[in-house]
Amino acid sequence: MLVIKNLKASINKKDILKGLNITIKPGELHAIMGPNGSGKSTLANVLSGKNGYEISGELKYQGESLKEIPIEERAQKGIFLAFQYPTEIPGVNTNNFLRTSLNKVRKAKGEKELDTLSFLKLLKEKSSELGIDEKMLSRQLNVGFSGGEKKKNEILQMKILDPNLTILDETDSGLDIDALKTIADGVNSSRDKKKSFLVITHYQRLLNYINPDFVHVLSNGKIIKSGCMELAEELEKKGYKKIN
Amino acid sequence: MIENFKINSNEIDKIKKISKEERDFRINNLNFFNEKGFPNKRQEDWKFSDLREIVQKNFKKLNVNKVNSKVKKVNLIKDFDHNYIEVINGELKSSNFKYEETNKIKIKNFKNENFLQESKGNPLICLNHALSDKGYHIEIEDNYKLKKALIIYNVFTEDLKENILNSRNKIKIGKNCELHTIELVINDSKYKFINNVYENIILENNAVYKNICIQNEKNDGYFHKFSKNKLSSKSKYSSFIFPSGSKFNKLDLEFNLEGEDSECTLQSASFLNKDDHQEIKTNMNHLAPSCKSYQKVKNVLSSYGKGVYQGKIYVKDIAQKTNAYQLSKALLLSDNSEFNSKPELEIYADDVKCSHGATSGNVDEDSIYYLMTRGLNRKESVKLLIDGFLSEVVDMIKSNSIKKFVRSKLQRQIHGY
Ligand SMILES: Nc1ncnc2c1ncn2[C@@H]1O[C@H](COP(=O)(O)OP(=O)(O)O)[C@@H](O)[C@H]1O
Ligand SMILES: [Mg+2]
Repeated sequence: MLVIKNLKASINKKDILKGLNITIKPGELHAIMGPNGSGKSTLANVLSGKNGYEISGELKYQGESLKEIPIEERAQKGIFLAFQYPTEIPGVNTNNFLRTSLNKVRKAKGEKELDTLSFLKLLKEKSSELGIDEKMLSRQLNVGFSGGEKKKNEILQMKILDPNLTILDETDSGLDIDALKTIADGVNSSRDKKKSFLVITHYQRLLNYINPDFVHVLSNGKIIKSGCMELAEELEKKGYKKIN
Repeated sequence: MIENFKINSNEIDKIKKISKEERDFRINNLNFFNEKGFPNKRQEDWKFSDLREIVQKNFKKLNVNKVNSKVKKVNLIKDFDHNYIEVINGELKSSNFKYEETNKIKIKNFKNENFLQESKGNPLICLNHALSDKGYHIEIEDNYKLKKALIIYNVFTEDLKENILNSRNKIKIGKNCELHTIELVINDSKYKFINNVYENIILENNAVYKNICIQNEKNDGYFHKFSKNKLSSKSKYSSFIFPSGSKFNKLDLEFNLEGEDSECTLQSASFLNKDDHQEIKTNMNHLAPSCKSYQKVKNVLSSYGKGVYQGKIYVKDIAQKTNAYQLSKALLLSDNSEFNSKPELEIYADDVKCSHGATSGNVDEDSIYYLMTRGLNRKESVKLLIDGFLSEVVDMIKSNSIKKFVRSKLQRQIHGY
């Protein structure tokens, strides 16, 4: 699904990613843990195509190099990023936005656009799974949403767009235990043989609910250690400083 | 290119049935205009909108002759039931109040009724005092609430060519009355013309007036309107304006909150591009205690669009417990677009809540990134952001059918972005 080889990324002359390697196969869920400032969000942004980075190394998604592919096409090809800090967009109705977004993705896949009725049916189903109040969806996109609402809205978008590769950037940060479980359920119910996940997190907490296949430790722009769930537990006990 | 544009006083003699007093009034005003000419940027009120230069650049000649246009039938909108009047090149042509008790509503062609109208040293107002001979005059009798909105179809005909039109309108809303108007500008003119309006709106005690003004088809009109609004005790005035698409448009709006507990709201949303030049100037005069005013002006500017907002809040010494608010937000989509905002506060009372703010900036790149990661391309994302920016104003319209109508008009406008 995703092959990253010797990936380096810098912005404003600052080197952030310094030779990163990860391979994610279909059906796998990889967790990336790392201290603040280690380059986790940068990796997420580089994968979804954000402008402004200078990049070298190999970046392949479903066998195709991502480097020349613009942001929206990556999304249309099934890459989804749940933002660490979802952007507030005044005046844009959440509901309408979700529909526009889904239809862009469907159109790119050669599928028929959903009419209002079938979209609302889908939206109702997915939002009730996540315990999202329908009133929230008629509000302006992320504007005045609580931290938990913003994160749930990201997972809702994941559910609706049904991507092949999902990147979650600290979706668990700042959530209470109920919201955390809801989000873990959201991820678990989306997992199947064909779908892959890259779950960026700071804590072991979320991983207890979603069982990663692999755990990587990112520090100073490099993967310094890879393993499985035990590595996450070790990190939680000892802290990042002692790992190497 | 015209320079030294002067109007002969025999134009005034073409106006029928005027008294000696009225003739003198008109002549005086005409002399003032002829002396000053079109206002230019050396005048404080015009420093961002040099009309003299604009007129000189764009008009080869100007004529004040009456146009005797043949008018095709106006296409009435079908989106919601409404009363209407048809105003053709400033002249009232027909009215239809089929949803109302017609004895409660007086409507006639405007007649000059007093000759002490102030001009504020504005040559265009003087020009209007000198030459206007058309317009509408609507009066709502006390205690009558209209059942349906009144649409004012403001049509400019295709045979207008380098004309200056001068008209004046008056709406008087009696005690405890309620009137909603929607002003729709329909511009069939293929050529340049100037439309110069003097408007007078009076709200008696407890009256409610809601107004929506939509002017958004691209056109070659040059518009100036001076509007004088009186708010009596406990009256409420709310105005939404969606102007854009004109080569030049200056709205000079004066609100006099003369009665205690009166409230005035003004909200506008404009998309200005392709050399559109628009200025909104307001004078919000708090002249009595416990009044509220609220102003929100939003502009999106691209490709040589130019926007100006000059908003002044004046609070008289007796106007205690005033609550005045003013906000201007501009979104600049290209380097060659321009926005100027000049807030002014003049406060003589001490128990006053007054706030104002102005922001102007480019589209937010983080927002665009977010939208693009959801499958929209850059252009679609920007469009969605513009739409959102302007929708914040549209969403404040209470009636759903009217909101939908306004939204579709705005969307057509930004479609071509
Ligand atoms: N646009 C930028 N310009 C300069 N430095 C940046 C920029 N974005 C991120 N950085 C720096 O790169 C490092 C990694 O940032 P980030 O990827 O956000 O870390 P993480 O998500 O792991 O906390 C930090 O030191 C951060 O300050
Ligand atoms: Mg981060």
